[in-house]
Amino acid sequence: MAGRDSEGGARGGEVLLSACVLALGIAFAAGAWLLPDAPGYARIGPRHFPALVAAGLVITGVLLLVEALSTGYRHLPEEARGRYNWPAFLWVAGGLVAHMVLIAGLGFVLAATLLFVCVARGFGSRRLLRDPLIGLALNAVVYLLFTRVLTLSLPWGAWLPALAATPGAGS
Amino acid sequence: MPEAFGFLLQGFAVALTWQNLLWCLLGCTLGTAVGVLPGVGPALTIALLLPATAKLDATGALIMFAGIYYGAMFGGSTTSILLNTPGESASIVTAIEGNRMARRGRAGPALATAAIGSFVAGTIATLLLSLVAPPMVEFALRFGPAEYFALMVLAFTTVSGVLGASMLRGYASLFLGLAVGLVGIDAISAQQRYTLGIPELLDGIDVVVVAVGLFAVGETLYLAAYYSRAEEKLERLGGSIWMSRADWARSWKPWLRGTAFGFPFGSIPAGGAEIPTFLSYATEKKLSKHPEEFGQGAIEGVAGPEAANNASSTGSLVPLLTLGLPTSATAAMILAAFQQFGLQPGPNLFASSPDLVWGLIASLYIGNVMLLVLNLPLVGLWVRLLAIPRPLLYAGILVFATLGAYGLRQSWFDLMLLWLIGLGGFLMRRYDFPVAPVIVGMILGPLAENQFRRALAISQGDPTVFLSHPISAVLMALSVAVLIGPWLWRRVRKETPLT
Repeated sequence: MAGRDSEGGARGGEVLLSACVLALGIAFAAGAWLLPDAPGYARIGPRHFPALVAAGLVITGVLLLVEALSTGYRHLPEEARGRYNWPAFLWVAGGLVAHMVLIAGLGFVLAATLLFVCVARGFGSRRLLRDPLIGLALNAVVYLLFTRVLTLSLPWGAWLPALAATPGAGS
Repeated sequence: MPEAFGFLLQGFAVALTWQNLLWCLLGCTLGTAVGVLPGVGPALTIALLLPATAKLDATGALIMFAGIYYGAMFGGSTTSILLNTPGESASIVTAIEGNRMARRGRAGPALATAAIGSFVAGTIATLLLSLVAPPMVEFALRFGPAEYFALMVLAFTTVSGVLGASMLRGYASLFLGLAVGLVGIDAISAQQRYTLGIPELLDGIDVVVVAVGLFAVGETLYLAAYYSRAEEKLERLGGSIWMSRADWARSWKPWLRGTAFGFPFGSIPAGGAEIPTFLSYATEKKLSKHPEEFGQGAIEGVAGPEAANNASSTGSLVPLLTLGLPTSATAAMILAAFQQFGLQPGPNLFASSPDLVWGLIASLYIGNVMLLVLNLPLVGLWVRLLAIPRPLLYAGILVFATLGAYGLRQSWFDLMLLWLIGLGGFLMRRYDFPVAPVIVGMILGPLAENQFRRALAISQGDPTVFLSHPISAVLMALSVAVLIGPWLWRRVRKETPLT
């Protein structure tokens, strides 16, 4: 099923990922090294446990790297080597970024509806009327539930006309 | 023993108040729903509900979380049987025979034997939990910091090493989780660690963001990339949901045997329900009078593993409640819920808040009855959840995921963290790194560090303290055995392949 070329690409990913684990381990080791040692009290300070964790990351990182370079990761599920849908991934990941950037200005309801539509599009839906309407209804209910019942605050959106006496519906 | 009985009665007095009954019902209903829905699991649900429950009564909230925990086990079997996609990982084995039964028009009896088996196993396991907990607490009171640290090391090795395809990737996940847990201000020395000077990181990385990032964002990205065009075939819920006399005759022994496998495996920190469900399946296949039906939809192959799965999830409440040790991602989220209320499960909690602990245990008996009612007559209702179009389901999941992260402190920083952790979760899923060790490592890591430093402070920095105390030495030896054990397990597995 999986072509040789996709397997080659997976191997590159494995090497890169293993190197990331190793690099993280080295960074954590350096961070532990830079931490001040606690004076007194048997000198068991804030740096000893991080040093152990860093050592664990370095060891697993090296072993992963060896495995990736020699045989490739062992016992990977077959499906993971299958073909992936790059546009679908981008719709979901991009929707999340848009939501993050826009939520403060656009308000929760509209930003979350945009996210809803993007994710649905990523999963192959092309219902351009149904998806936004369902998202809008869901998010309006969630907004009211959170701000009125649970009294948590969510941004309403400064540019929208204010809801009458909404507790927690700040700017 | 009579003393434990008194505590349990007292617990029922707590659990039977109408508020707590409502929390239990809410938890069981939510649990069944998330168990049925693919893409949402109990750990994610508890993570999303944590911030919203911070101001509630601790007993009620924990009763609800426990309901979600084992309700998801009931609901998961429905998805396994009708969709052949396990709703949660412990029901993988159920899918083998259960889905075959459904394809042959026997979905009803398959669902029934799963639900009744779960009820039988859950009730027996709760009874065993009530009996085992007091002596365990008694024993654990003798533990010092060295013993606790050794116990936690054992939990780390089992959670990372026993499950999953690769021990190495399991341990890598564990250390990633431990590393995430280090970020923030050190509780003992007030020293900033790994905060990179970012003020938002001073309080550490919130477990809600990590759990939601891995379980919701990472998982959805993965499904979008690899499965967004996949077709799923939902089996029809045709025929009677009731079991015939022959079905009963073939089910009751597997239920009991499954319970006997599940409870011990759950209660020793041996890493989840995969092993007991598989052992139960293999045993039933060997003992069955109809071995030729296995692979074609044998009811024993649903009854046994489903009971084992439920007994093991109840069994894993033994280490969680008596020792404060989580052995799965969901148990770790329940530990985080305890911590949110300033409580630390363990022997001291049995002494300081017997009402809460025994109320929680009593609620398990009640919850099992509720779940039987929720799952058998009402199964048709849950099946409708499976008809939600996938695009809308995953869109909804991500709306709640971002809401959970943003709701913590209305900061886009948490959304960015969620996104980054989600990308990490996607890569982990893609390269088959297990997620549970990350969650367990992150939540248990700070507690382990605390015990580690206390033990070394008492021994004046002598690291042999972990080997010179007998209990600690035994636990450390067990951890080493766990490092080697999986090879033996894999040999057993090779001899009796699953499908």
